[in-house]
Amino acid sequence: MSEPPSPALELQGLSKRYGNFTALQSVDLSIRPGEIFALLGPNGAGKTTLIGSVCGLVRKTAGTIRVFGRDLDADPVGPRYELGLVPQEINFDPFFTVAESLRIQQGYYGRPRDDARVDEVLTALNLQGKKDSLTRALSGGMKRRLLIAKALVHKPRLVFLDEPTAGVDVELRRDLWTYVRKLASEGTTIVLTTHYLEEAEELADRVGIINEGRLLMVEDKAALLRRFGEKRLVVTFATPLPALPEAGQRFAARLSDDGRTLTYVERDGCAPAGDLLRALYAAGLPIADVETRRSRLEDVLIEVLRGRPSASAA
Amino acid sequence: MNVLGMQTLFVKEVRRFMRVPGQTVLSPLISTTLYFIVFGYSISGRVHEVEGQPYLHFIVPGLVFLGIANNAFLNSSSSLFITKIQGTVVDLLVAPLGPGELMAGFIGGAMVRGLVVGGLTWAVAALFSGFSLEHALVTAYFLFISSYVFSVLGMLAAIWAEKFEQINFFPTFVMLPLTFLGGVFYSVRELPSPWNTISLFNPMVYMVEGLRYGMLGSSIFSPVVGGAILAVVAAVATGVVYVVLRSGYRMKA
Ligand SMILES: Nc1ncnc2c1ncn2[C@@H]1O[C@H](COP(=O)(O)OP(=O)(O)OP(=O)(O)O)[C@@H](O)[C@H]1O
Ligand SMILES: [Mg+2]
Repeated sequence: MSEPPSPALELQGLSKRYGNFTALQSVDLSIRPGEIFALLGPNGAGKTTLIGSVCGLVRKTAGTIRVFGRDLDADPVGPRYELGLVPQEINFDPFFTVAESLRIQQGYYGRPRDDARVDEVLTALNLQGKKDSLTRALSGGMKRRLLIAKALVHKPRLVFLDEPTAGVDVELRRDLWTYVRKLASEGTTIVLTTHYLEEAEELADRVGIINEGRLLMVEDKAALLRRFGEKRLVVTFATPLPALPEAGQRFAARLSDDGRTLTYVERDGCAPAGDLLRALYAAGLPIADVETRRSRLEDVLIEVLRGRPSASAA
Repeated sequence: MNVLGMQTLFVKEVRRFMRVPGQTVLSPLISTTLYFIVFGYSISGRVHEVEGQPYLHFIVPGLVFLGIANNAFLNSSSSLFITKIQGTVVDLLVAPLGPGELMAGFIGGAMVRGLVVGGLTWAVAALFSGFSLEHALVTAYFLFISSYVFSVLGMLAAIWAEKFEQINFFPTFVMLPLTFLGGVFYSVRELPSPWNTISLFNPMVYMVEGLRYGMLGSSIFSPVVGGAILAVVAAVATGVVYVVLRSGYRMKA
């Protein structure tokens, strides 16, 4: 008999209070082995606090945390061999070189010195040229790359990336995405926070949205985009229209106050935007410009945070 | 137990102070020489013997003790405190290093520094007053226990401190008075009452007197009693730091 694999991470009723302030409020979450999970939310939502509770940086107030099925209350140290963390705040020990920092990290995780692995990680993060530089001589973006390298050098099975690409250049961001996908395909579980929603859209299998310490929703990214998915058609006219034309009324579009732009939102089950456009052309209106936009994770996030998690129910 | 992790931290700690040899090597040379010039020569002109020892010999164990105490404390307190300021404490907290492993690494590194400086101080002192070692094992025990206790206390100070002023609190307001009241430059037995009795509650007195017994062959307390008292002090300090570290007090949010 084979048991279903235990979740890489399981939170039950996880709460954290700082004095009277509640930073996390009874969070339940289960992360599957091998998935890429994006935790999204505004500044101060509790993302770093959630990650810190798992990684031993924050003392939880209540709840249980299981890493690969092992309760951290029962064994606070053992499960940490499996963890890697890229902290949000850059830190570095100016006494050591890049390669030394990575070797020290290997040692902390009980791994014998493995220079081949150090080189592999440095190459993946494009730091090979800085191998023997003191860490204080790195640029800001390079320091962040080193943080990422440090979090991965001991081959953790569960990796937390707390805003890993803040301040890194476009090229590294792309490289990192490729690398994260590779890690996930090899079975590493990844929990990522980011304010670049493009990043979450690109990488995540599932998305969790957190605000004011509450996990508002957890969903498959593709399903979420489909459910919230809408297309927006914006038509600009060369001369202002006195009133909403008949075609616009039929489709329940909106005309701006100055009469220059008409906006139509196409949701699941609505008439296609193309039909409206055809009707507008047929009516011989002075169309100057047409723009369509697909909603993205960013729009979904804004809607959910505005308190419209059931926009889909319609 | 994460032996490799512990070892890594220990080696890192040792390498850290080795990178500033000026502090490690030069400062004991200078301070010991100054102590000899100021205290040794000025006072030994008037005070010829203390507890049956020539004054220049009498102060050597205490100076070795000062080198150990200051450097062991300084190393563990500053090293751990800096990780909190730099944020590198995150690396230690996320890694599978429990309180025991953290203590072994930091205390081990600090003890090495304390003992290196103590040894250098002893060597410099020997140039002024000649080398004397009467009971090697007793000396070794007191060198070890002194460096251990101060390394542990240094960790405690670093855990507690959140600002730079606070990390200087212990050395200035606790260590300095206690070391000067610890009988480094005089015999506590000669203090007026009640200070001679109060001194019995200062563990540093037993460290200094223990080293005095080991190096010079006699002291005002039995080294067995002093050694036992210090073993208890060490055990209590160890327990406190272990429990505090495990609780996450001022180390975790
Ligand atoms: N040590 C602390 N003491 C008191 N309050 C704290 C502490 N750490 C975090 N908080 C508060 O907890 C809340 C959640 O903080 P957290 O760092 O988890 O947010 P976040 O979602 O990571 O935000 P960001 O996107 O800005 O990184 C914030 O209101 C923050 O002010
Ligand atoms: Mg954060």
